[in-house]
Amino acid sequence: MKNLDSKSHVRGESVYLDDIPVVEGTLYACVFDSPVAHGKLRSVNTDEAASAPGVVRVITANDLIGENQIGGILPDEPLLANGEVHFCGMPIAVVLAESDEQARAAASLVKAEIEPLEAIVDAREAFAKGSLIAAPKRFKLGDTEKAFESCAHVFEGKTRSGGQEHLYIETQGAYTLPSETGGLRVFSSTQGPTAVQKAVASVTGIPMNLIEVDVTRLGGGFGGKEDQANAWAAICAVSTQLTKRPVKYSLHRMEDMRMTGKRHPYSSDYRIGLDADLRIVAYDVVFYQNAGASCDLSLPVLERTLFHCTNSYFIPNVSAVAYSCKTNLPPNTAFRGFGGPQGMFVIESAIAHAADALGVDRDEIQRRNLLSSGDELPYGQIVESEAREAWSQADSVYDFATLKKEADEFNKTGGHLKKGVAMMPICFGISFTKTPMNQARSLVHVYTDGSVAVSTGAVEMGQGVNTKIAQVAASVFGISIEKVKVHTTNTLRIANTSPTAASAAADLNGKATQIACEKILERLNEVAAELELESWPPVGTGSGGDRQIGPPEGETPNWVELVNEAHLRRVNLSEHAHYATPGVGFDWSVAKGHPFAYHVFGTAIVGATVDCLRGTYEFDYVKCCHDFGQSMNSAVDRGQIEGGIVQGIGWMTIEEVVYDSEGRLRSNALSTYKIPDVYSVPDEIAIEALETTRPNLAVFNSKAVGEPPLMYGIGAYFAIREAVKAFDKENLPAFDAPFTAEKVLMNLHRS
Amino acid sequence: MTDYNERPDSEELSDDERAILSELGESRRKFLGTVSATTFGVLAAQLLAEQEILANYRVPEDAVFAPVAEENAVSVTLNINGTKRALSLDSRVTLLDALREKLGLTGSKKGCDHGQCGSCTVIVDGRRVLSCLTLAATCEGKTVTTIEGLAKGDDLHPMQEAFIKYDGFQCGYCTPGQICSAVAMLDEAKRGQLSYLSENIRGKARAVKLSDDEIRERMSGNLCRCGAYPNIVKAIREVHTGTEVAETWEFVKEGVNDAAV
Repeated sequence: MKNLDSKSHVRGESVYLDDIPVVEGTLYACVFDSPVAHGKLRSVNTDEAASAPGVVRVITANDLIGENQIGGILPDEPLLANGEVHFCGMPIAVVLAESDEQARAAASLVKAEIEPLEAIVDAREAFAKGSLIAAPKRFKLGDTEKAFESCAHVFEGKTRSGGQEHLYIETQGAYTLPSETGGLRVFSSTQGPTAVQKAVASVTGIPMNLIEVDVTRLGGGFGGKEDQANAWAAICAVSTQLTKRPVKYSLHRMEDMRMTGKRHPYSSDYRIGLDADLRIVAYDVVFYQNAGASCDLSLPVLERTLFHCTNSYFIPNVSAVAYSCKTNLPPNTAFRGFGGPQGMFVIESAIAHAADALGVDRDEIQRRNLLSSGDELPYGQIVESEAREAWSQADSVYDFATLKKEADEFNKTGGHLKKGVAMMPICFGISFTKTPMNQARSLVHVYTDGSVAVSTGAVEMGQGVNTKIAQVAASVFGISIEKVKVHTTNTLRIANTSPTAASAAADLNGKATQIACEKILERLNEVAAELELESWPPVGTGSGGDRQIGPPEGETPNWVELVNEAHLRRVNLSEHAHYATPGVGFDWSVAKGHPFAYHVFGTAIVGATVDCLRGTYEFDYVKCCHDFGQSMNSAVDRGQIEGGIVQGIGWMTIEEVVYDSEGRLRSNALSTYKIPDVYSVPDEIAIEALETTRPNLAVFNSKAVGEPPLMYGIGAYFAIREAVKAFDKENLPAFDAPFTAEKVLMNLHRS
Repeated sequence: MTDYNERPDSEELSDDERAILSELGESRRKFLGTVSATTFGVLAAQLLAEQEILANYRVPEDAVFAPVAEENAVSVTLNINGTKRALSLDSRVTLLDALREKLGLTGSKKGCDHGQCGSCTVIVDGRRVLSCLTLAATCEGKTVTTIEGLAKGDDLHPMQEAFIKYDGFQCGYCTPGQICSAVAMLDEAKRGQLSYLSENIRGKARAVKLSDDEIRERMSGNLCRCGAYPNIVKAIREVHTGTEVAETWEFVKEGVNDAAV
């Protein structure tokens, strides 16, 4: 089943925010943002900007009618700076003009008098100065202190992992229009329509029922438009409220990079203890997360770092502490994996450290410690594990020993090229860790011509969620997918949505759609029974997914007759259904619970070739065995694996976010920040589906696939590291990601 | 109470007033056109109330309004997707902005506006250009093909077909640029244009058969953040060679055909 947007994508007809036709009279916004990372905002002079050609109004914090607050989790994020600036790129004033060019030109005329204060850009420095977003979070399993005493081997060290710019090719943006009785219609490029609605309500003082947020699709999100879309919608909303005119703001790439947060950089300390059989007995880890200037989503990201701090391994004694450190950088935010990758990088580094010191292969330690079903995770959930199955199936298909031997043979031949091979198992929990967010609603209408309209809270951003939802409806109704249309995500049709995040949108919204369709179908079948007809759908249809959706030829006259008959009998052909994931919950007072509906497992093997004269590298292959459950859309799911791997490799290798000591972003454009291009892709990506039959809570048993594959990319770091070690055995590179070519070269030739 | 239905004698108006009325009448007309097209009826009602006072200054049917004054205006005629379009543009307007803002051709995307991402790629006189780095005024008399001009009605261009067949996209935002770039790139190869990877750089130009590495080299200016690159390469290879590309990363056990899961 192809992505339903395929045809409009290749014709250039898919509509994104910047493509919405503007209404005559639309004003264009441009932000004047702080050039200083931390300081007292003494005054803002907007006179010159206000008298520039085309300028209609300049807005500062004092003009807001509602609260100057858009923080979703903690109320610590003013929309416009007032009294103080907290990061370079913090919005101070909004210029509104008749054209985009005029707004941008005038924004540069705003003058702010800022008395600089000391800026903190490093997480450990913030920690030392007591600058924290909130109290630290802790996980504890067993007794590490006692366990370390019994360990045959104990190793400790530090790791660092860098930030990552989302670089959705469609930048952030919003377009607001005034509506009746003081309401607002908001088009936003957001993963969280409800988050936008709340932020708009906060800054305008308009109740949520008068704020319509509508999202057709995004040109990429990756977490960057989960909470960080709020500011731009709020800015447009306030502007519309004050001018009574439509207002549009589509950020320029450099504005977007400068003003929005990224993946959290982490600095961590680990201590790992193993017994004589290489079993990990104890693990002690402290995470220092660089949160930026306000909370944004830093706390739930921090929590997921803890949830995934032991990755795919069973460790009986764990002590994990995580600090969210407040710095003077743009508020860092969600990014595919949501803190999980940062946690996994540390345990993988600790294992590599132990392997180096003990002279054993890294994968030997990995393999011996994989989770088994029934093991307790550090947060108390008893795992239903496929970790060992994924590892052994990957090994049997790809043959790790042979791949490693081939690399060894190659390395013996000398020359300046060296190969490295690394295994990377993953375990990723599916569900929002904040339990109340695990709910969704779907609105389904069946029309008298037999066509079906579905609306949910899920936002389409290339991950194919709308295609999967349409498959669910077509499958339950036993009709062809051409009869189903999944409409825009709109807060008037679906209220109180969770953001499209945590890989969970297809599960939550798909299940809600399934329930809605089943209820309508039940009513249709009552009609069929009254008519003494066989029940719908006919045998052999509606089994779900790729396998079979609806009668093969797509024409379903009986369906239309049944629907019409039901309508004539005044049977309700619409349903608004609610789904809440059963059985999940977590108690932070004891840091124990069952937060995840299920886990996704997998094992990848990554092969790299390093040019030891230049420090450059290529990836020969990424071969993985991945736990799809039973994929309902192989094309979409394979695309997610491929894209996740490429993005994970990018994070670990070439993507380097650089702020200078004064908190200014130096990697501020595509010329200075490198994302994977067509060359960065491994020569071969092989995907093997793990054969599982265990029932799970995924929609149609098709497990979530958005985030987990990103973490296969961590293997790329260790594959390069193995190649560097092959060049010089004594050389043990520090655990400092990303492993840029520059860093590789420095590591290869340190004198 | 003033009767606004009565049209004032134009002699009673000063030049300035006439200019203002003319402008208001024009903007209202444009506004109404947009509103009816986009069904923002409520908004219309609000703004109309404000404009009611002017509503009955009837505009002559045959009135011709100058477009909103352009700075540095130049006249440019472009042949876009087979149609001649005459435009009056600020000489500094890029081809991308002209396409998107003046001609309603929003298929070409603005990803960076700095020529770094490739999303705005269009084809000018048979060559791919970054429309964000091309001034519209320099395209006078030239033939411009955008993503909207590749298909012939319902018949997709082979490159469009191939992108669908191999899932050469996820979010779709870079796709118009990728496809325009790929179409023109294959023509470059036919013309024998060389690349960094070309082995034979001497002699007469002749059609080049592209390896996957050559395709990658020649497509390296088009970024895809979703990471659909392997599928993009496959799509281009099929159009280039005319033969189907075997999947190299199918579910291993299920072989080449996209079998049901």
